[in-house]
Amino acid sequence: MPERQPSQRSSSGGAEALAASSRAAGQAASAAPPPPQADSQQFSTDDPRILLDRQIGVPLYEPIPPYPTRTEREGEFYTLGDGEMFLNVGPHHPATHGVLRLVVKLSGEQVVDVDPVLGYLHRGVEKICENSDYYHVIDQVDPLEYTSSLFQEWAAVLAFEKLMDVQVPRRAEYIRVLSAELLRISSHTLYMGFLALDLGGLTPILYSFIERDEIVEMLAALTGARMLFNYFRIGGVNGDLNHEFMSRLGDWMSRAAKQTEANAGLLNENEIFVRRTRGMGVMDREMALRYGVTGGNLRASGVPFDLRRAHPYSVYPELDFNIPTRQEGDSLARYLIRVDEIRESIKIIDQCLHNMPDGPVMARLPRLLRPRPGRAWGACEGPRGMLGVYAISDGSDQPFRFRIHDPSFVNLETVPALLPGNLLADTMAIVSSLDPVMGGIDK
Amino acid sequence: MALGDRGTKAGGATGRGGAGSRDANRGLVPATPGELTAPIVVPNTMWAAADPLAYVGGPTDEITHLREFGETDAGRKDDARWGALQVIPTNADYILDLIRANSLWPLLSGLACCAFEMMSSATSKNDMDRWGMFPFRASPRQADVLIVAGTLTTKMSGPLIRLWEQMPEPKWCVALGDCTVSGGRYKRSYSVVQGIDRVMPVDVYIPGCPPRPEGLIYGMMQLGQMVKDRRGHWTEREIGPTAPDDI
Amino acid sequence: MDRNLKGRLEARLGAHLKAPVYQRGDETEIRIEPGSVPEVLTVLHDSVDMRFEILADLAGVDTGEVMQVVYHLWSTMTPDWLRIVADGISRDDPRCPSATFLWTGAEWLEREAYDMFGIVFEGNRDLRRIFMPPDYTSFPLRKDFLLPDDAARSPGSGVRHVERAHVPADLADDPSGGIRRAPVS
Repeated sequence: MPERQPSQRSSSGGAEALAASSRAAGQAASAAPPPPQADSQQFSTDDPRILLDRQIGVPLYEPIPPYPTRTEREGEFYTLGDGEMFLNVGPHHPATHGVLRLVVKLSGEQVVDVDPVLGYLHRGVEKICENSDYYHVIDQVDPLEYTSSLFQEWAAVLAFEKLMDVQVPRRAEYIRVLSAELLRISSHTLYMGFLALDLGGLTPILYSFIERDEIVEMLAALTGARMLFNYFRIGGVNGDLNHEFMSRLGDWMSRAAKQTEANAGLLNENEIFVRRTRGMGVMDREMALRYGVTGGNLRASGVPFDLRRAHPYSVYPELDFNIPTRQEGDSLARYLIRVDEIRESIKIIDQCLHNMPDGPVMARLPRLLRPRPGRAWGACEGPRGMLGVYAISDGSDQPFRFRIHDPSFVNLETVPALLPGNLLADTMAIVSSLDPVMGGIDK
Repeated sequence: MALGDRGTKAGGATGRGGAGSRDANRGLVPATPGELTAPIVVPNTMWAAADPLAYVGGPTDEITHLREFGETDAGRKDDARWGALQVIPTNADYILDLIRANSLWPLLSGLACCAFEMMSSATSKNDMDRWGMFPFRASPRQADVLIVAGTLTTKMSGPLIRLWEQMPEPKWCVALGDCTVSGGRYKRSYSVVQGIDRVMPVDVYIPGCPPRPEGLIYGMMQLGQMVKDRRGHWTEREIGPTAPDDI
Repeated sequence: MDRNLKGRLEARLGAHLKAPVYQRGDETEIRIEPGSVPEVLTVLHDSVDMRFEILADLAGVDTGEVMQVVYHLWSTMTPDWLRIVADGISRDDPRCPSATFLWTGAEWLEREAYDMFGIVFEGNRDLRRIFMPPDYTSFPLRKDFLLPDDAARSPGSGVRHVERAHVPADLADDPSGGIRRAPVS
């Protein structure tokens, strides 16, 4: 950026900044004309076209690339048509579910196009995992989907167990399902709260957090931590059920169904909520399949694909539960699917508690884990979709390549197709209805 | 292009219109709807800050790397906090400190997992509103405390530093969670800032991955106590890692 | 382990396969040249007896000698996951045709592979960095990009001290630190 003195006329600098922000694709500042001379005019400061110079502020981070645009799509996006403007819903925003930046191209109040910018939470987990041994990988993989970290661990552990041909004891499988379904309920409850929060309702989030606190304290009694559990191990889980966990779980189960209905009832029949989510962000079946969307978002568009039934893992074949599916594909359908899934999860937890077998919770494995050289793909159904892990082992005790496939990543990819045509106020509602978790998206 | 036409038309029109105080808007050509209007940029002569470098956004423009930022004086300019009477606090200052300590409004700066523990400590079960901290302001202009909750990456550090700079004095910074204290579990990462004290002065460090909500509340209590005691040598607060280099 | 699937794959794609179809557990793996990616993916997506409509993952891999792009597909007609390894992409000029003509969702996945490895996907309309800042020049997941404590000869350089105790003295200067790694294909 050019050096500027605060007291000088910097009209040329300002015009350059403006020209930079309305530049057509690939054309440099040579296209911007010299601005009118400031000293030959009388100005009223009421005129909205008058910009005070950079003492008010320069663009904090370039919403518009100052460099020549690099790709076709970037050029097409960063070209302003008539009456269009850019609005940077920046990484710091009360509603963006974390550090997501949406550069929104608006025509008045209507969104014309959107360019999501990710990477504000990219922590290099895959690279760290390539240089850690298998136990540490399970711990590193927790903060990706931090609201549902057990599922992330489960996917990793599935891939590793395939590499090592480990048989997991049945009690461990049941405990895995039990704790994971509890966390699914917590994640879905938070989803409901955040969806309402993004639409402006400040109450449901508090109820969601009460629910989440209860579940998370339960899991803390079981695993030792409130959020990043590090509980699953290759070959089982880290510790057996204990009295504290069971008593909390019993307490909670006795009111879980009624609590769910109460929480859902806050929003299900709320006219404002329903009218703001019905018909918004419609994703039809073909679009969902084309984007590779999985999870509740796919099932809301009419495709009954759930990994727990399509490609069963763990003890899900023995459990009796339904896969809620809806046909509309709008935000309301996505929300209702998750409410249904909470009910199904309560059923699953009930069955797990009744059918819990005895036995060890961990397979006998050597201390130093060295799987055979080879490749393995493990996938599980998380609250947001299919969590996949592709692990390549080279025979040493560190994975050679540890690739995490996150469902929120592909879910967010539909945003440039879902948002255009809607008003700005619905932007966050639609993004929020897809349930993105930035930790997983940015890895 | 629309831009070009705008410019020449405005220039031509004002040339003809001339300057007259009677009709100050004479020279301005109304825009037709749908046309992209070039703004007329004028220097700001209506008010000037006392310090000529105050709003220029000075050193941070020239600094391209976080390490350089820590080595300059830009990060240490926190002496606006207590004013001239900082040596002998008067009763008014005491009351002001009480007011500040009991009404610390955090900035909603939740980056990653620790944000959930921060939200958890603000909601019903561990209610931070008991100490006046419930309003999580989204705008940095209205916030007192920047609770950095979550991993700070190099890409996000720019916006976060801007947020910090936009907060008006007096302001405090709380590092919540291992990632902000020292890089935490991402010590080896290529894109994580190893502790936010490399880029901004921190008042309270709350370790944990993630720390329990009670831990955050304890940290905020400590912060309130620091505010009331005027502890912490804010005027000499440094930016930079406090650990030795060879660790 | 779906033997039928193996037969169908060999029937349809016989010319493109670089290696025999490998099956283990619930995964079936085929290896192809990067140039045949569009054709193979189209055949797998459209053919009536194996409609692999769901793209589960698109990943880049750097084996140290070559790069690979690995696709995971799912079809409702077979219980197996299908893995397609587009093998043999050179490390100096990694190029691979894009899968965005079939799945729009592959766009961001390919952006991620580009950002992390430098693999240029021809046909991707939006191949720019997605995680790292746009002016970043390295590709972090490549094997020649070393994390700080891997490059240093410190106890944290990829060898746990537990193992280092068993490393014989003549291996103390071994750059691999005593870890025996099998070559990854």
